[in-house]
Amino acid sequence: MLGVALALTAVGAWWLRRRDGAVRAAEGGQERTATAVLEGLGVRPGDAELTVVQFSTAFCGPCRATRARLQQLQATRPGLAHVDVDAESHLDAVRELGVRRTPTLFYLDRAGRLIGRSSGTPRPEELTRLVEAHVAPAPARDGGGL
Amino acid sequence: MLPAHPPTGREVDVRGPRAAAWVTSAVLAVALLTGSGVLVALQAAVFAVGAFAGLRYAPYGVLFRVLVAPRLGPVREREPEAPARFAQLVGLVFAVVGAAGYLSGAPLVGAVATGLALVAALLNAAAGFCLGCELYLTVRRARPARTT
Repeated sequence: MLGVALALTAVGAWWLRRRDGAVRAAEGGQERTATAVLEGLGVRPGDAELTVVQFSTAFCGPCRATRARLQQLQATRPGLAHVDVDAESHLDAVRELGVRRTPTLFYLDRAGRLIGRSSGTPRPEELTRLVEAHVAPAPARDGGGL
Repeated sequence: MLPAHPPTGREVDVRGPRAAAWVTSAVLAVALLTGSGVLVALQAAVFAVGAFAGLRYAPYGVLFRVLVAPRLGPVREREPEAPARFAQLVGLVFAVVGAAGYLSGAPLVGAVATGLALVAALLNAAAGFCLGCELYLTVRRARPARTT
């Protein structure tokens, strides 16, 4: 029994290393619904180059660290918007979006397209890369460049 | 002399719960090996103190603060207490089922529940992953929506 428990732990740890915090692309068809649900919560992707919507709960250790990291990124990338949603008071949206864990993050571009989502503490390098790919440093320029 | 208290009762040194998770893992592993319901019941009592009285009074946390923390140097990082406290409650549920299983002559129930508690404690200790905290939203989701 002890062996089984140790094996389960090893599998769990391995799964976490692979999945935790990794940004996944939205599955087909899910994109539109997700954007609609998030806009229903008052999220306005058109206001920023990249909007990160974070679902949090009070019983979530990594949520605070994630929030701090995003706020830190915002300091150098003003085109980044961060919206914190309390998962518990929006359970309908949580179900529609298939949010199972916190923090779960949704990344929306200015057109409201869902770029991806991630669950767990985002990986620092991946998050930075994503932000840098979508948000220009310092004063944001309008339109144009890729 | 007690070491200095945290500025608010709502935050704990991140190393505390992690160290406590190692102790919990060791206790549960021994309980699994020996099939001791009494040991699981003792661990349940430890969980109960942490969950209901707060981590400040949690036995392993106190041991950490008094014996280990002073040797480790200053606190680098604090975390909110609520998630870890909720996890103690989840641990309590598993430990109670485990102890009841062993003590009432259903060793399989005892072993499965104790084993699951061990997995959760080990994941927390080794990977810093709080399974109890993650379960919170899952439990809340399962309940019918009645927020008005």
